[in-house]
Amino acid sequence: MARLTIDRVNKWFGAFRALDNVSVEVANGEFMAILGPSGCGKTTLLRQIAGFDKVDSGRIAIGDTVVSTVQLHIPPERRHIGIVFQSYALWPHMTVAENVAYGLAVAGIKNPERSRRVAAALTLVELDGFAERRPALLSGGQRQRVALARCLVTEPSLVLLDEPLANLDVHLRASMEDEFARFHARTGTTMIYITHDQAEAMALADRIAVMDKGRLLQVATPSQLYREPADQTVAEFIGEGMVLPVEVRSVDGAGTCHVDLYGHRVRMRCAVSQKPTPAARACLRSRDLRIVLPAASGMGARIDHAIYQGGHFRLEARVDAAPEMLVHLAVPEPFLLAPGAAIKLDVADGWVIPAVAEH
Amino acid sequence: MHPTADLRGPFEDHALLWGLVFVVGILSVLPLARLVLEAVAPGGEWSAQALTRVLSSSTTWTATGHSLVTALGGTLLAVAIGAVVALIVSLTDIRGRNAFVFCFVLPMMIAPQVLALAWLQLFGPSSPLLPMIGVAPSPGKNPLYSPEGIILVLGIQYAPLVFLTLRAGLRALPRELIEAGLAGGAGPLTVLRTVVLPLMTPPLVAGVALSFVSCLGNFGIAALLGIPANYLVLPTLIYQRLAGLGPGVLSEVSVLSTLIGFIAVTGLLLQDLMLRRRDFRISTASCVARPFELRRWRLPVEAALWTFSILVLTLPLIALVLASLVPAVGVPLTVKTATLGNYDFVLFGHDAAKRALINSFTLSTIAAIVIVLIAVPLAYFLVWRRSRPLTMISLLIEMPYALPGVVLAIAAILLFLKPLPLVGLSLYNTVWIILFCYLARFLVLGLRPVISAYYQIDRTLEEASQIAGARLLRRLRTIILPLVAPAASAGALLIFLMAFNELTVSALLWSSGAETLGVILFSFQQGGDSTYAAALGALTVFVTTALMLLTLFMAAKLPPGVLPWRD
Amino acid sequence: MNIALRHSFFLIAGLVAGIAAGPAAAQAPAGKLVLYTSQPERDAAQTVSAFRKVYPGVDVDVFRSGTTEVMGKLAAEFAGGQARADVLLLADAATMESLKRAGRLLPYPDAKLAGLEPGSYDVDKTYFGSKLITTGIAVNTSVKARPASFADLAKPEYKAQMTMPSPLYSGAAAIMLGTMTTRADLGWGYFEKLKAADAIAVRGNGAVLAAVANGEKSYGILVDFMAFNAKAKGSPIFPAEGSPAVTEPVAILKTTQNAAAARAFVDFILSDEGQKLAVSMGYIPAKAAVGMPSWLPAGTKIVVMPTDISRVAEANSANLKRFAEIFGN
Repeated sequence: MARLTIDRVNKWFGAFRALDNVSVEVANGEFMAILGPSGCGKTTLLRQIAGFDKVDSGRIAIGDTVVSTVQLHIPPERRHIGIVFQSYALWPHMTVAENVAYGLAVAGIKNPERSRRVAAALTLVELDGFAERRPALLSGGQRQRVALARCLVTEPSLVLLDEPLANLDVHLRASMEDEFARFHARTGTTMIYITHDQAEAMALADRIAVMDKGRLLQVATPSQLYREPADQTVAEFIGEGMVLPVEVRSVDGAGTCHVDLYGHRVRMRCAVSQKPTPAARACLRSRDLRIVLPAASGMGARIDHAIYQGGHFRLEARVDAAPEMLVHLAVPEPFLLAPGAAIKLDVADGWVIPAVAEH
Repeated sequence: MHPTADLRGPFEDHALLWGLVFVVGILSVLPLARLVLEAVAPGGEWSAQALTRVLSSSTTWTATGHSLVTALGGTLLAVAIGAVVALIVSLTDIRGRNAFVFCFVLPMMIAPQVLALAWLQLFGPSSPLLPMIGVAPSPGKNPLYSPEGIILVLGIQYAPLVFLTLRAGLRALPRELIEAGLAGGAGPLTVLRTVVLPLMTPPLVAGVALSFVSCLGNFGIAALLGIPANYLVLPTLIYQRLAGLGPGVLSEVSVLSTLIGFIAVTGLLLQDLMLRRRDFRISTASCVARPFELRRWRLPVEAALWTFSILVLTLPLIALVLASLVPAVGVPLTVKTATLGNYDFVLFGHDAAKRALINSFTLSTIAAIVIVLIAVPLAYFLVWRRSRPLTMISLLIEMPYALPGVVLAIAAILLFLKPLPLVGLSLYNTVWIILFCYLARFLVLGLRPVISAYYQIDRTLEEASQIAGARLLRRLRTIILPLVAPAASAGALLIFLMAFNELTVSALLWSSGAETLGVILFSFQQGGDSTYAAALGALTVFVTTALMLLTLFMAAKLPPGVLPWRD
Repeated sequence: MNIALRHSFFLIAGLVAGIAAGPAAAQAPAGKLVLYTSQPERDAAQTVSAFRKVYPGVDVDVFRSGTTEVMGKLAAEFAGGQARADVLLLADAATMESLKRAGRLLPYPDAKLAGLEPGSYDVDKTYFGSKLITTGIAVNTSVKARPASFADLAKPEYKAQMTMPSPLYSGAAAIMLGTMTTRADLGWGYFEKLKAADAIAVRGNGAVLAAVANGEKSYGILVDFMAFNAKAKGSPIFPAEGSPAVTEPVAILKTTQNAAAARAFVDFILSDEGQKLAVSMGYIPAKAAVGMPSWLPAGTKIVVMPTDISRVAEANSANLKRFAEIFGN
């Protein structure tokens, strides 16, 4: 088991800066998700950790061993990590058993030890009896599990998973998520999980690192990320946050403040060091909004459209005070108002995004 | 387990890289360098005489223009034929596929000059064929004596080259990509145009490059058909200069050879340019594409293919066999005159012929295997590592193939006349100098198909094995080699067939005991014994066919796609 | 005897022994002899085995290829600084002339030239013709018209049916070109007429033979012995103007490692035995006295077109250039 240290890593591809001073520390046995939209640099970061690319500056260490600096580069075959690739990368000319056994064969482990461990790995991923199949004849989920078995059979200190569930259907995804969670609980392996799907990240990770455009925006637990996003990008990315301009009227110095949102007074959470300011931004979640009677206090808005989502509607509305702003909330079925109808929205909570991101 | 800073890994990588640079340097750069030296410093003294004389002569530029015309024309025809046949054979449900592939590859087993001769006879006044199809043979000039004739025979000669490269590449085409196109509403031809062909760009480009260089450097067909038509190309111009016996012949020949080299390199740079910018990787591990059903088109297509095969490919072979059964040239073949005497002489009366068969077979096999073993790691460094020193040197790999064989032989003589410096061994007048030339000459035939295979493989397959702890050599052996096997074996087959029938190089390098098949054929033909030549040629085809049939028995143990005539 | 007499006795005895032993030592050349030749394979093999019967101590290594290939190999060896050949037996004297002019040949002044025509060997005794190979007109038996002279071939009735070896690729044809163009009754005009009559020039005599024997062309200018050895139809015609001839000369290279064996080889070629061997192989010998090959009708008078080989060699590159211009390269 090992911890992973990434210290001010930079990577350029020509003039394009793929990684911008990325620093993060993954504790021994932690399950960390690296979350971000396509092109944010998470795959680049994974490749740096694995050793497929060299860093332009900074340092990466696995456990106590420095594996990547500008001068030193330990090649991937010597890093003793495991990777589950997005495309699974199963070798088509080998059977499932041969695929899984490869790492053991390389390490010089012979039969019967080798076949014992292969059988154990296949049992772990519930693929007993598939040993002699060829990858071409397996379904997506089965290939996924072979890739996982292959990764685990060598008992690596660190496992990287590159969007492993991206190609699976919803049900399979759910069961594989359970699989990963159970596996992590059982073995305590340090796992780095790359994904663009926040639901996965939230469900599985101990901590999540959010990346965008090569920069690490925030590293925090899922709950912290949800409740206290460090900047606008994180706020919008996680849980479909709505970022609205507010004026901070007063703070109590203990994490609560009062703000003015389009003329509507709201009590919100904020950083302890928040000061009153006329130009701040707040992050609202859809559960913070609800429709109130026209007579009650709240923001005026007009319904844009309502989308049925099985038992409830996702309502999208435009705030009267700022029609370019589209907010959304969930309303239970049945909902009888039509697009264009005027409603009143009450804001129960929010988070004032700190002016300078802290993490 | 912790990561370890292991020095063995990087050492292995560097050792392999520099080893490859060394090998390529010796095989490709050295002969060319020696020739260039001879061009500008004949006899050890600098002189620009040969350079100015050659470059200022209008014959040089006429021949260059002709070379470009025949090379481009031949390539176009070869690609048209080879690609169409490869697509039909690989993607549709025609019957008798394997037999057809066998017949299509057959012409490569016949020496090019023999094939061209058979064609000449087919179109000439004593043609047995033309009366059969109702065309009266004209007593005048044979229509094949023309640039069109050269292009026609070149195209047919090298179509199997494009065919083999493309067929190996089509093996990697997975079912779902075609099905995605069909599901999107596109008809089969549209899928072909928009999905299959773009994905097959690497093997296609490899086939184009190979056939261009082959047509450019071809001497036998250009000599046979071009000389009577006074249509000069660079290889025949070189031969003319050699025959002219003037002083400073070698340096003029060297200048002309360098000119051919330039043209070949330009073609190569174009190929690299075409491949670099796009991504042709196929990353799914799914099944091979299910064939398109031709339905009512099936019978006509099969008929067309087999007619083409018989007409163009089998007929010359039959002409060859018929010519081998007459006692002397010009005697008409009847039941009474038919004789096996020629075979008797070749097999039992002429020791050199038997030796030559064994020598040629051994040299071709060794060349094929060694070249493939070089090509796989070489292509790895060229395509995936993009190592600078290797890329620069590899531009020159085309050279020994593009140069006329006689020129390569001369370069080899210049290099190996004296014993090797440290070792004191002399390669001259042994089979080993011939092997050196085969390795130098045919390296490109093994390399280009394998390079195209690398473009089609997803590199994560290698990365996965890296993560599993495998070092470079192991990865090459266990992961990469099986994946590029179809392309590698296409290359090996090409090398074997070309080396087996090779003539122009060994014509200068052979010695007693080190004869090759081409040399024996050449001396039979030059001595007026064309019946013996025909018998030897027919024997070669029989032997090669038998060997290829034998491979079918081993087919079960080989990875899929390695044998082009077996699905 | 006094001492002086005893000394002179031994001196004279020694001299006599030396003189007696001299020729005996000279008669046993041994070691390796390297021969480069452009003769046909079978002829080369027969020549070598007959030579070895006379000189069993000599081991002969033969390199046989086309003239151009042999010359290419030689040129490379010269450029590489280590020529391997000891003796050459090539098709034509023009090639030998060019080697002589480059100073590559070793003169053999004591060669036994009795019975040989003066024109068949080099005045400086560097190369010696071994046969008389004349060029004639070969005709496919299915055609009726038989031309009687070279000039006839340019006539309209033979249009588009004639083939000849190209001097650009064949030394023998180069000599033919050089010889004919100096004659008043042929000259360059003859070749221009041939071109106008759609004659085609192919690479080498083998191609001419194949074309005429197959019927692809009805007439060919051909080195005649081939036509006969092929046992095919096509009997040669000795043209009225006479026949250009090549002599298949033998020569010793200056850099020879075994001069004794090389001289022995030349001796053998020029000896009665060697000449009789040539006859048995179907050639007209250089030494007319040993007889004629069986296919030559008795009493045929062969008229050879006289060739000033040195002039031909000098004018060669200009001739080739002009030929290329006429025939349109």
